[in-house]
Amino acid sequence: MSERAAAAAPTPNVTRTDPMQPAPWRVVRTEPETHDAFKLTLAPVEAGPPFTFEAGQFNMLFAPGVGEAALSMSGCSGTVDRVVHTIRAAGRVTKTLRTLKRGDVLGLRGPFGKPWPVGLAEGRDVLLVAGGIGLAPLRPALCHMLEHRERFGRVNLLYGARSPQDILFAKEIETWRGRFDVSVEVTVDRAGADWHGRVGVVTTLVPRAQFDPANTVAFICGPEIMMHFTQRELERHGVPDESVWVSMERNMKCGVGFCGHCQFGPLFVCKDGPVFRYDRVAPLLGIREV
Amino acid sequence: MGTPSAGQIHRLGRDQLASWVDALLGERKRVFAPVLRRGLRVLRAVERAQDVDFAPGRTRWSPKEFLFPRTETLFSYENRDGVPVLADPPADDVPRILFGVQPCDAAGLVRLDSILLQDPFYARRRELTTVVAIACSEAAPECFCTAVGGSPAGQEGVDVLLAPLETGWVVRALSPKGEALLAPRRGGWETAAAGDWEAALEQAGRVAGSIGRRELPAAWAEKLEQSFADPIWDELARRCVGCSICAYVCPSCSCFDVADEGSDACGSRCRTWDSCSFRLFTQHGSGHNPRATQPARSRQRVLHKFAFYPLQHGGRAMCVGCGRCIRSCPVGMDIHAEVVEVMSGRPEKEAGDVQR
Repeated sequence: MSERAAAAAPTPNVTRTDPMQPAPWRVVRTEPETHDAFKLTLAPVEAGPPFTFEAGQFNMLFAPGVGEAALSMSGCSGTVDRVVHTIRAAGRVTKTLRTLKRGDVLGLRGPFGKPWPVGLAEGRDVLLVAGGIGLAPLRPALCHMLEHRERFGRVNLLYGARSPQDILFAKEIETWRGRFDVSVEVTVDRAGADWHGRVGVVTTLVPRAQFDPANTVAFICGPEIMMHFTQRELERHGVPDESVWVSMERNMKCGVGFCGHCQFGPLFVCKDGPVFRYDRVAPLLGIREV
Repeated sequence: MGTPSAGQIHRLGRDQLASWVDALLGERKRVFAPVLRRGLRVLRAVERAQDVDFAPGRTRWSPKEFLFPRTETLFSYENRDGVPVLADPPADDVPRILFGVQPCDAAGLVRLDSILLQDPFYARRRELTTVVAIACSEAAPECFCTAVGGSPAGQEGVDVLLAPLETGWVVRALSPKGEALLAPRRGGWETAAAGDWEAALEQAGRVAGSIGRRELPAAWAEKLEQSFADPIWDELARRCVGCSICAYVCPSCSCFDVADEGSDACGSRCRTWDSCSFRLFTQHGSGHNPRATQPARSRQRVLHKFAFYPLQHGGRAMCVGCGRCIRSCPVGMDIHAEVVEVMSGRPEKEAGDVQR
């Protein structure tokens, strides 16, 4: 990406390889996803080297004049000519990104971070456990598994949202449900009388999934407390810590491991993560305010 | 006196140091040196040697700002036909000399290198910088370089070391950069007498002996890393007001914030010094803050310097014992005392703040 950024710079000098320089990307499509989440589809403004990313990686998206935010990609991974982000409008930058229209240009640098180890899941049963907007970074992993379905054992998606109105990818979830080769379970924390699905925390879905605990890989993404309790539930079902992976979230400024903001004990979430094997972060997750 | 050669140690009279600085300025090198400004001893770009305060000793601020500025523009942009077009800040390729810094400050630059050399702006300035340090002739009450592997005549990160003699200075190049800086002068300089260098080191040894602050107990980094859940952190941090002066005066603190300014039409991205003691440092866009209290932030600061960093960087603390944070803290926090206290064998309490 930095090469592309440098190509845009009129006076090339020392910053040629500066990882802090975003490249211009154009919004080719915007879609509301829920009442507070939306989807942005982006294409590079300039011709450049192909954009390749792996499931679970993130970009720094730059709203000129407002700022940058670290956001996971939700589109299918690989070498792509479009980058898809599903974003919850939570802060200043993401709220600005929501106002963008087709044709607008924003800045993008990335991809950054360690991805979900989808290769390790081959030949094994899979549990994808998502809480809230945490489904977005897991979508590329599911996408990859459905594309190469024969390589994986039983694939389970367990998804918990706050309310029926907060369910991401609602249409796609229906499509996945229609497939016989993936099991999809959804629950919400609270719902009105018009909700006929499950109510309860996402951990209550674990007993409904079919997996061989000794030969399973679990990817979890959601609030820290949700990941913690999901891991406990998996442990109860016999899934060892070494088979569990979580994706962490921290405030990030540089994305490449030197601004210091995302430090999580000795780890930098941006470059050592955001995806970590559970046993690596377990001691830290147990400490208040690491 | 034989033909001057590389590696030779020289002896300079008091005035010769000033003429050297004037000669460097004459070669259009930028010289940052200690000057007295309104009662404070600070490093500034000097225009003549006469303004330089050549005495050994601490400056109010560390020299890090000359390699890692408090604020710097990373790029600017301008909207052209709907596309933000980026421009680099003007390049600054003047060779520069940090003249008369303390050995601990030179060591601080080596700590910064381990984090910031991956940044092209820092790396360029670093390449252009030669460090001339002056060995300390006395230790301040806050000094503890010897507890973190340094010394009053420390050589880490030093290109040329000057040490005070009774009648002048002894000068020695310690790196290729230092050799290059001395090479043009060697012809006009007197070779040091046998024993001059040893005398200077002996003097530094006496200074080291006068440092009252204790060395750290064995395996300090490992032990500190285990101290996460110790309630002592709450106690130690109770006083901290979160002003972050400790990080600002620190020669090795390298964290920065990124701020975007301007509008859709034009603007710039700046990098500014930041500190893990600030509440906003870890606050998410949503308002959630995973490190929301001051004790947790104080713990992060100490553990980063004395546990996480050393365990990843060959056992060296991210602290050079300059004592500026102790000297500057408005409420008397003392990082050396904190480290010693956390490790001083307080009875291990139940892990009070472990939630789960």
